[in-house]
Amino acid sequence: MLVEAQRNRGAVRRVTGLARSTPGRLSLLALLLIVLSLLVGALTAGAVQRRSDALEALADHSEPLAFAAQEVYRAMADADATASSAFLSGGVESADLRRRYEADVAKAAAALSVATSEIIRSPELTTALSTLSGQLPVYTGLVETARAHNRQGNPVGAAYLREASTLMRDQLLPAARELYRVENGDVVRDLGGAGSLPWLEFLLGVLALAVLVFAQRYLTRRTNRVFNPGLVVATALTAISLLWVLAASLVVVYSASASRNEATLVDLLARARIATLTARGDETLTLVARGSGAAYEASYVEVDKELGDLLVRSRGLTPKVEEALEHHEQWQQAHRRVREADDSGDYTTAVAVALGRDPAGAATAFDELDSDLVDAIGAARAELTGAIGRARAGLGGAVPGVVVLALLAAAASTFGLWQRLKEYR
Amino acid sequence: MRRLPAVVLVLVLAACAPVPSGAPPIGGGSAVPPRPADVVELTAPPSAPAVAPASCDPTASLRPTGPLPAPGQMPAGSTMAKIQAHGRLIVGVDQNSYLMGFRNPFSGELEGFDVDMAREVARAIFGDPGAIQFKVLTSEERIPALEERRVDIVVRTMTVNCERWQKVNFSTVYYQAGQRVLVPSNSDVTGIESLGGRRVCVTKGSSSLANVAAAPSRPVPVSVPNWTDCLVMLQQGQVDAISTDDTILAGLAAQDPYTKVVGPQFTAEPYGMAFPKADEDFVRFVNALLERLRADGTWASIHRRWLGAPPAPPVAVYRD
Repeated sequence: MLVEAQRNRGAVRRVTGLARSTPGRLSLLALLLIVLSLLVGALTAGAVQRRSDALEALADHSEPLAFAAQEVYRAMADADATASSAFLSGGVESADLRRRYEADVAKAAAALSVATSEIIRSPELTTALSTLSGQLPVYTGLVETARAHNRQGNPVGAAYLREASTLMRDQLLPAARELYRVENGDVVRDLGGAGSLPWLEFLLGVLALAVLVFAQRYLTRRTNRVFNPGLVVATALTAISLLWVLAASLVVVYSASASRNEATLVDLLARARIATLTARGDETLTLVARGSGAAYEASYVEVDKELGDLLVRSRGLTPKVEEALEHHEQWQQAHRRVREADDSGDYTTAVAVALGRDPAGAATAFDELDSDLVDAIGAARAELTGAIGRARAGLGGAVPGVVVLALLAAAASTFGLWQRLKEYR
Repeated sequence: MRRLPAVVLVLVLAACAPVPSGAPPIGGGSAVPPRPADVVELTAPPSAPAVAPASCDPTASLRPTGPLPAPGQMPAGSTMAKIQAHGRLIVGVDQNSYLMGFRNPFSGELEGFDVDMAREVARAIFGDPGAIQFKVLTSEERIPALEERRVDIVVRTMTVNCERWQKVNFSTVYYQAGQRVLVPSNSDVTGIESLGGRRVCVTKGSSSLANVAAAPSRPVPVSVPNWTDCLVMLQQGQVDAISTDDTILAGLAAQDPYTKVVGPQFTAEPYGMAFPKADEDFVRFVNALLERLRADGTWASIHRRWLGAPPAPPVAVYRD
């Protein structure tokens, strides 16, 4: 033990002795500059990489998944509304409605398989996703049973349809809503991650520059030479690296804040579209229930109000929803006519206004509102992915650039100090 | 220092320990059977009915005051005149009882024995069986709909009994039904007595529910809003039997050849049309109409159209 302590003390003395002599100090300074350049380079590269990862997650996972979740919800709500309409229009549904229902189920299943592929990213969605993929086939089975009974003229078909609709409203749609909520939350989170201000990168760069400047002033005092070419080059390289990283990060921050508006708009429009479909389902189910549909009508009134709010809020972000607002108003008028006819006992007129191809009817206004929203969502989503793409382009090459510049700066510092050290040989 | 190799060994071993997968297990593998909306399994029997007056004969209704007025010329100030002024008769019916009151899936129209009887009432007031607005009611909604005057009349497989007489008025009996049991055709159930402890489907607020809950064999009642919901549950194996009036059971059995109606009628279920408690003049009017429908063969032809060869119509009983 005693021998060991003496040995340690000897080592300490050697190091402090080295630190007292000028060549020793220069060596230590060289070592410090190498370590600092490499460390700052690595940390900055890491920070840039994190930003780039957040953008990649946003572009390749969160945004497409949120869209998939929205598709799952939309397709399922539409399938339910379509199945009710088909039932209302008489036992044998029209080929159009049948095609629409089939397309919805296909779309829901396809979007669901995209959403399910990412289950490892969001384990909290296990329950919602297994409800969705487990109950969708049960739902379609019930709808087909209802069809088979309808074709034979059995009123039990309507009971199967009610059971299917209950399954949709009580289990599938809430699970789809949860899926959308989580996926949309991921978009917001990744946008936040990509859009944070680059303080860490800035402070690291400034620290590296400050140490380099200090080293040069020290050398000037010690060696009476104003400039050390190696250290000047290292300072320039570090400054370039800092400016590059700051410029690229600020481009990303700017694009991310623009994307945040677009993401909000996509979210508002997506919710407006879901509200549209829900209101349409309520409108038809009120008629299917024939006199005992007060609960559906109450739900219609609530969802319609929400739809109006969402459209007005989206108008602040894009002028594209003006037409949607007009069609929404037309639909409200048609819906009032449906209710007036139904409440005054004219059921046939009520069904005709709700389902018929009359240009002033509810079906026409609903279809146009729906296609307005599809267009607006498409445009907003293109803006969003465009903004994310621009942000990713801004970061292009930044990580290898930072690494290479850090290596070169370390090499330049070493070279510069080596020239001074040689003088002490 | 001598412990160092051991420490290193432990650290190396810890580093070599297998890293478990972060993937979540496969969830939700157990089947969740779908159920109709608002299914309730009744563990406690429904509240006991209020004690009926001892003298109550539920089938006895109010005597007609005279011959029927001509259609379109209702006596001034009467309930019928108000309905006439309103332009249509608002009738509470069922759309889920095949053959009694149901929606024809091909036409979307409501049809059945009850619906045709209601159209006769409209014909007697307006001279037009189409001057009618249907409101679909579940069993449970019938009495509240009358009390809140959302409908003028209920013609919906409604059993007359003393408890209901306290809230609404009934016409004379227009159909005599009785409660029986519907089971899958391979079932060993022979009637209400062999349903002890088994799940039996009935609708909420129906007299069938009270009868099943009161059965000595103690079945487990499961209640749903509509009779067709019961057939769905039977077909999905969620209940063992359905028990209600034979008319409704016949309509359910006609939709599923793999069911059979078993056991004798264990209750008498006389159907009457129901009216708000205040509309006594309307009750007397409809009773006069029913007298005519029984006498002129209209009742028999409606019965033949929906329920097969007609028996003698139920005899009218009056309480004055």
